Amino acid sequence: MTTSAILLIAISVITTGLVLGVIFSLVAAGVTIVYGSIWLPNASNGQFFLTAALICWSFVTWLAVPIWVAALLTLAVSLPISYLLEATLIRRFYDVPDRNIAYFVLTLGVTQILSGIFSVTYGRWSDQFNLPPMIAGVTFIGPFPMTNNRIFVLGAASVLLALLFAMLRFHPYGRALRAVFQNREAAALRGVNVRAIYRLSFALGMLSIFAGGILYGMAYSFDLTVAWTMAVTAFAIMIVGGPGSVLGAVVVGMVFGFTQAGVSTFTSPTLATFSYLAAMLIILLLKPSGLFSR
Amino acid sequence: MRRYLRSAITPQLLLLLAAAIALAVVVSGNRFFAFVLGITMISILWAAGMNLLTGYTGLVSLAFAGIAGISAYGTVGLVMRCGWSFWLAMPVAVLGAAVVGVLLGLPSLRLKGFYFALSSLVIQTVLSLGFVYFIGLTNGDTGISQIPPPDIPLTGVSFHGIGFDLLLTFAAWLSLAATWAIAHSPFGRRLVAIREDEVLAEAIGIDVIRNKMLVFFVGSLYAGVGGALYATYVGFASPRSFDLLSSLSIWLMVAFGGRGTFMGPVVGALILAPVPFMLQQYDTLKDVIYGALIIAVIVLMPGGVYGTLLAYVRRLPSLKRYLSKQRGGVPNDGSVRRS
Repeated sequence: MTTSAILLIAISVITTGLVLGVIFSLVAAGVTIVYGSIWLPNASNGQFFLTAALICWSFVTWLAVPIWVAALLTLAVSLPISYLLEATLIRRFYDVPDRNIAYFVLTLGVTQILSGIFSVTYGRWSDQFNLPPMIAGVTFIGPFPMTNNRIFVLGAASVLLALLFAMLRFHPYGRALRAVFQNREAAALRGVNVRAIYRLSFALGMLSIFAGGILYGMAYSFDLTVAWTMAVTAFAIMIVGGPGSVLGAVVVGMVFGFTQAGVSTFTSPTLATFSYLAAMLIILLLKPSGLFSR
Repeated sequence: MRRYLRSAITPQLLLLLAAAIALAVVVSGNRFFAFVLGITMISILWAAGMNLLTGYTGLVSLAFAGIAGISAYGTVGLVMRCGWSFWLAMPVAVLGAAVVGVLLGLPSLRLKGFYFALSSLVIQTVLSLGFVYFIGLTNGDTGISQIPPPDIPLTGVSFHGIGFDLLLTFAAWLSLAATWAIAHSPFGRRLVAIREDEVLAEAIGIDVIRNKMLVFFVGSLYAGVGGALYATYVGFASPRSFDLLSSLSIWLMVAFGGRGTFMGPVVGALILAPVPFMLQQYDTLKDVIYGALIIAVIVLMPGGVYGTLLAYVRRLPSLKRYLSKQRGGVPNDGSVRRS
């Protein structure tokens, strides 16, 4: 192998790792915010991730709207979906002490319903789904090409993550949300409307998952199996990073993104999934609170 | 232990056996219904094992179908490649699967609630990936077909038709009798204590980890026996038969019927196991229906069909008097926690 070939592989691993990493981080941040506040381990995150990509695809294919309109519309669609889920299923358990296990099985049920619906609808219509590029063309980083579209995805996901961080740190809602993470009784005593924060964090988490799904659909062609892989990956990131820790989700998300890119270049992506599962098991056994918990 | 085994010979259990055999004989004329009944019997066996874990001990084990898969592939491998008799291969494979199950589950037994369920989901996923990945042993996604049915020892013929149905019926009944014996033993009461409050159970001197390990082993035996019978009954084994959805379906049968009640899982399996067959070519709808039922059980009916009914009936004054005269009664009134 020549030096330039090695360099080419290295660059491709780095760029793929960056794109996958920010998307993983975004989804895992969404999952971890919801677990940190409501105690809801969203096992159906992968299905919602896929839902977002499929809705965006439907807008583009059926209504023939430009991709950026479709993306914004899809994000808007997530709000009524989250509201409906919150009002019908999730709200009922806010006061149950061991609610995380009930939520876990509940979201597994949601997963089963969504995957059943997708397999007889979208699964019959197409094997592979593609979204048109947001920005056409190719940029050369030195001699190495990277599509403008993926650069856009990388930028957009980074901006969204930065916005999420800024909101959690500086906005009153974000501060209230972090207060609930740390101690819900004390937060309630200080006048935080805990239930409103629960609702907000669920919508915010869904929005992150949807954004991740749309961006993934823009960067790569996808099929229905991506839901399950994403669900396992996001859970692994959440557990390893520490449930409730957005910083942990981002750091571990980036690490997993590079792992995926590196492993997929040389062998089967199944091995990457194996490594996430192994990492999750080890953390569950040794430090169930995760690496970045306070 | 003999005392508890003898306690299993109760009128209720004998009645159950008679009813099951009668049902098997009645439907034997129609191969389709007989096949559905056979699968239902295996589901009852599985549900009884899952009930020990989920219902009595409060452990949501999502690796159940994976362990059944290990035993199924083990049995099939020993029978088809090594030429063993089914009756030699099955116990070896079942024990092997149970040991693997305990070894895999050993570390996670320290965890409880959601974290146990999550690590069992991880184990199930690893097993599912393994079933596809080790093509040499499992034939990957294609699966192994034309699995021979169990032989009748010393005769040279094998179980088929009503004989096989009756075998499954008896296996299901045996699993229920074993569950009954366990539920009425001190071991069963320790499990309920662990479910109700792990810290308190520890405080009154129950070795929580050891008892969890034991029940995990016993539950894996149920899973394994069911897996070996399933593969030989259907004549086909593929990773799809032993995936996470299968584990969830078995959990649903237990929860839909009534967690921690003796009859609940039987009711759940009787209602839910035939559903995919009734849907015929719309069988993908099964996932949607099961998923909706999972949500319905958790949100509306944590006690399950039988548990809710039982709780309702018990409020009737005349029955209260009758039940108070009965020593022991049913071990749990179905008022389980939402888990």
